[in-house]
Amino acid sequence: MKIRFRAPRLRTRILLMFGVGSLALSAFLAAITYNFVRTNLVDQREESAVDQAYDNAGRLATDLRSSSPNVQGSLDRLGAERPLLLFRGSWTAGDARFSSAQLPDRLLVDVAERAVPSKMRLEIADELVLAVGIPLEDVDAAYFEFPTVDDVASTLRSVGLALVFAAAITTLLGVFGGALLASRAIRPVTVASQAAQAIASGQLGTRLEPTDDPDLAALTDSFNDMVVALQARVERDARFTSDVSHELRSPLTTLSTSVEVMLARRDEMPERAQVALDLLVADVARFRGLVEDLLEISRFDAGAIRLDLEDLLVSEFVRQAVAVSTLPRSRVEVDPAAETLVIRADRRRLARVMANLIDNARLHGGGDVEVSVTVPDDGGPTSAVRILVEDHGPGVPPEERLLIFERFARGGSAGRRSFSDGAGLGLALVDEHVRLHGGRIWLDDRRDGDPGACFAIELSAEEI
Amino acid sequence: MARLIGQDVRVGTRILTVEDDERIRAAVKLALEDEGWTVDEAASGEEAVVRFLRQPSDVVLIDIMLPGIDGFELCRTIRRSSDVPIVMVTARADTHDVVAGLEAGADDYLTKPFAPKELSARIRALLRRARPMSSAHSRLIFGDLEIVPDEGKVLRGGTEVHLTKTEFRLLCELAQNPGRVFSREQLLDHVWGYGYFGDGRLVDVHIRRLRTKVEVDAANPRHVVTVRGLGYRLQQ
Repeated sequence: MKIRFRAPRLRTRILLMFGVGSLALSAFLAAITYNFVRTNLVDQREESAVDQAYDNAGRLATDLRSSSPNVQGSLDRLGAERPLLLFRGSWTAGDARFSSAQLPDRLLVDVAERAVPSKMRLEIADELVLAVGIPLEDVDAAYFEFPTVDDVASTLRSVGLALVFAAAITTLLGVFGGALLASRAIRPVTVASQAAQAIASGQLGTRLEPTDDPDLAALTDSFNDMVVALQARVERDARFTSDVSHELRSPLTTLSTSVEVMLARRDEMPERAQVALDLLVADVARFRGLVEDLLEISRFDAGAIRLDLEDLLVSEFVRQAVAVSTLPRSRVEVDPAAETLVIRADRRRLARVMANLIDNARLHGGGDVEVSVTVPDDGGPTSAVRILVEDHGPGVPPEERLLIFERFARGGSAGRRSFSDGAGLGLALVDEHVRLHGGRIWLDDRRDGDPGACFAIELSAEEI
Repeated sequence: MARLIGQDVRVGTRILTVEDDERIRAAVKLALEDEGWTVDEAASGEEAVVRFLRQPSDVVLIDIMLPGIDGFELCRTIRRSSDVPIVMVTARADTHDVVAGLEAGADDYLTKPFAPKELSARIRALLRRARPMSSAHSRLIFGDLEIVPDEGKVLRGGTEVHLTKTEFRLLCELAQNPGRVFSREQLLDHVWGYGYFGDGRLVDVHIRRLRTKVEVDAANPRHVVTVRGLGYRLQQ
């Protein structure tokens, strides 16, 4: 069962959410602030402009009450911003560009016809201005002014710019906070994935630490429950293998001891009994090998193997290991460069590796074997040594070369590995042992191109 | 300790096998009798103690997993009164059992399932060890330590210390060439009869046991010295 996720990575999503969220919030706040500032500024400006206009209108009315008013002169004297006067039906302008043509109809009607003071915002020649109209009924006139409010606009622009800036900084802070939070939020996931990796690599004792966070507690609890169940199952399987092998050891001891007693009297037996005894002897030995391998592999599965490491002169080790093997007269060739190399290894376990490889060659490799010790020619300083075991058997096709190290693996092609090879645990054990030593083993063609297999073990080594 | 030293290993050699599995016991008895040895049997540690008191053996074979008093305890009980060579049978070679057994006083070990040939080879090696050393010197002196190979005696500061046969053999081996460094493999070969692939822990544990007997302070040995990475040496 697989649970799929197509959405972007969790971290990206949290970041995105925080980025968009803080951008929206700061934009919203900036807009409100901008509007508030603008309303306030413009209203204030308008108020003072209107006050000024009333002031001007009052002074103008005083002038116009004289018997022969100099309309243009009075208007100019006001010093007002773009004044415009309708006096007894005729228009006088203080600024030629601002004539009655620029007055909106509504303002004109309100002020000149209905005698109601009025104001209106206009845009004239790209300039924001306020049109103020004040009726002066007692002198039959209407006074207009176009004070600019554009200076407010430039202030507003600065405010706007500052707000955009602030929004940008807030957004960035939001993204930064999001990133911090994302990595905090992701941490339990990272921890869980590290724990899962540790478990996959065999450290079944790994657990997630309990947490107070109720959301995470659910994950932690179910994760830990899963590992406990897994561990129990793995241990049960390993214990079963181990128990079975242990139970087999006692009858096996009786068997091999009794067979030995019979073997001492073989000559006294009838011929048919001798044949039967030989079969018995051979299969008791095979059975013994199988039980020993099973015990060993169950110890690997239980993680109970402890290496008794010591420095070994690899050339001496290989010569000794071959000498006590089932093919003690096999040729051992040591590369001069490898003669003085030392490996850190468990002498007795590595000897079993050699014994297994030589046994394998004896049974499936044509009964003859050559062992060599070489150094990998990668040009660099010598940091590794290779032990090669080459036989004269039919070899192993490339596609089966990895499978051969699996438990109870047999060659796929019929007949190539005879039935008498017993259960194929030997090479699986070899693989486990070599890996426990931090080395690797693989299967190759013979170096000289003749048919046959070449088992190569590579271990790290150093000069004495 | 009253065993005669120097008797022919083939004549009258008695072996006590302590094993709770009746069939294994019967089969081992058959195989060992084929070697010409007399075999006594005991099904439990308690029975073994009584048998050994009545009729001391030349070698004792003990299965560690016994009902009642276990193999370790039996080893210690026998060791309190005797230097008889002991072979223990353990379940596994790589567990603490081996070291615990050796520390309890065993001289050598086998793992189940063992082949009878291995067993008789181990017993023969132990019997050889029980015979006197042929030494060029009648008396070797190392400071406060005095070895009398012909009598199988070791004195520290004038008083006799009781060594097992294996410990004595190990001390004599080191004493043959005072000052020379012996590797674990050499000692395994000369004392136990194992080759290159013997278990080095046999040497280490026996050296440890030897030190508690011949050294004034076993933690800071003056006579039986470790030479790191090489082996052991006996010095003044």
